[in-house]
Amino acid sequence: MAELLRAVDLTKNFGGLTAISEVSFSIQSEDIVGLIGPNGAGKTTLVNLISGVYSPTRGQIYFEGQKISGCKAHQVNALGIARTFQIVRIFPRLTVLENVLVGLIDRKSNGPWKLMGQALLHRSGLRDDRRSVKKAEELLEFVGLQTYCNESAENLPYALSKRLEIARALATRPKLLLLDEPSSGLNPAELIGQIRLIREISQKGIAILIIEHVMKVIMEISRRLIVLDYGKKIAEGSPQDVYRNPAVIQAYLGEEACAGN
Amino acid sequence: MNAAWRRRALTATVGVFFLLLPLIIQERYFLHVLVMSGIYVILSLSWNLLAGFTGQLNLGHAAFFGIGSYTSALLAMKLGVSPWIGLFVGGTAAALFGFLLGIPSLRLAGPYLAITTIGFSEILRLVATNWVELTRGSLGLSGIPMLDPIRIGGVTIRFYAEPEYYYVVLVSVAFTLVFMCRLTRSAFGYSLQSLRDDEVGAQSIGIHTSSFKLATFTISAFFAGFAGALYAHFARLVSPETMSLHLTFDVLTMALFGGLGTILGPILGAVTLTFVSEWLRFLEDSIKLDIRLVAYGLILILTVLFMRQGLYGVLRSVVLNLLPRGHNKE
Repeated sequence: MAELLRAVDLTKNFGGLTAISEVSFSIQSEDIVGLIGPNGAGKTTLVNLISGVYSPTRGQIYFEGQKISGCKAHQVNALGIARTFQIVRIFPRLTVLENVLVGLIDRKSNGPWKLMGQALLHRSGLRDDRRSVKKAEELLEFVGLQTYCNESAENLPYALSKRLEIARALATRPKLLLLDEPSSGLNPAELIGQIRLIREISQKGIAILIIEHVMKVIMEISRRLIVLDYGKKIAEGSPQDVYRNPAVIQAYLGEEACAGN
Repeated sequence: MNAAWRRRALTATVGVFFLLLPLIIQERYFLHVLVMSGIYVILSLSWNLLAGFTGQLNLGHAAFFGIGSYTSALLAMKLGVSPWIGLFVGGTAAALFGFLLGIPSLRLAGPYLAITTIGFSEILRLVATNWVELTRGSLGLSGIPMLDPIRIGGVTIRFYAEPEYYYVVLVSVAFTLVFMCRLTRSAFGYSLQSLRDDEVGAQSIGIHTSSFKLATFTISAFFAGFAGALYAHFARLVSPETMSLHLTFDVLTMALFGGLGTILGPILGAVTLTFVSEWLRFLEDSIKLDIRLVAYGLILILTVLFMRQGLYGVLRSVVLNLLPRGHNKE
């Protein structure tokens, strides 16, 4: 396994608040890394830093050896990092199929003027491109949404809209997928399906960083865990090790629980 | 295949209808209103590209219209540039300002962008009012040259009267329509719609939202400026009042009433409301009350409350209900 992503002394301040403080870690290709920690620990901030939504106050991020900290979100995506959001950010007024088709647009020639030129020269629209449509349908089938293709995305139930967001992220052909709480708000049956889906994504050779509060999910699928508390990395290791780590128990349950243990 | 042919047949029928219209109804007043409808169609389609497809509420659209009309008019009057060239130069000048106005849109959203764009159009209106040496201030420019005659073979076509001008506007509308159709169906158009629906989400799948917004502001302004130039050489009079908020809100009402974020909607809205407002003008004359603005306001409120999809949405659902089941997916 080669190193895919490396973060060095990552720090992010929001005014006087330090959301992330000197966090370093790395992700190998084909890894499944769980990112856990109490509410407000800085998990989502860390994902936002990696995906280019924020740029770090200090520290660097490297992806396949190339420095990506300071890159914009769309550039980070073009390099091979895709993500989902804690609160889904699908395109509600597009259909399910169109949501994925937009993800499939070739970003290497995506200057708007170039795309505009192409648009004027060709009669056929985005939906007429047979190859893209076929690819989009395959992706929708992969996440189990094949029967909803022409449904407006805003009509999808919550659990399915989360799956659509995953399909859209996969459409950009990522090497690393960042999942921000993919299981929140799901019922037990949907949870099992979600775990299976994440495993299948991993089997495609895509590395995964997953933020999760549902311990069942995190223990079952992650190979490695990173634990954040108040913006600091307090533990890293296999799920079993982390589970027994006193610092982690203290962060989640308080000092007394730790002493009792 | 069947559906494609049906669509082609429909397009051809509509095209022939509009080509023959001046031969069927030769009344000049009617053609005059049609020409104005066409100019409004271009304007509301261009506004709709920004507001309906990209989610950028631009309330300074009248400024682009004004820039186009002043540029083309002044070029023709002061430098003797042919109005045919002026149409495109006017559009290009507006596009330049569109690009500049697009820059704040990268940082501002929603009401803040709306206020900025209002400010932009008011500033330009004041410039046109006060730069008297160039624009003759609030008197406006009058006696703007008409489009030059075209000589094809031995035949000379002059653009003195409505029927000839009607065809110029018809070609312009057709060009705008094809442009907008192709653009909105393409990868470009879907990128716009996705950034309208969720900007952060769009960036996360690699869409450089800033440059798409800039490009759209530019293109939208070009068409507004082009429409402005068409108007200048048709009405042969432009004043700073063409840049007032009135015009922007007329266009906004047309697009919303017709159906925001669709192509047919703004066309329906622009044509319907141009004719309605002409009819109201007669009514105003007889009852001596200025009711046009009241009517527009009412239409706007009722559309937002009861007809969110606009006229197009209503017609569409009526047609879909009339068709036998199974055809619905077309």
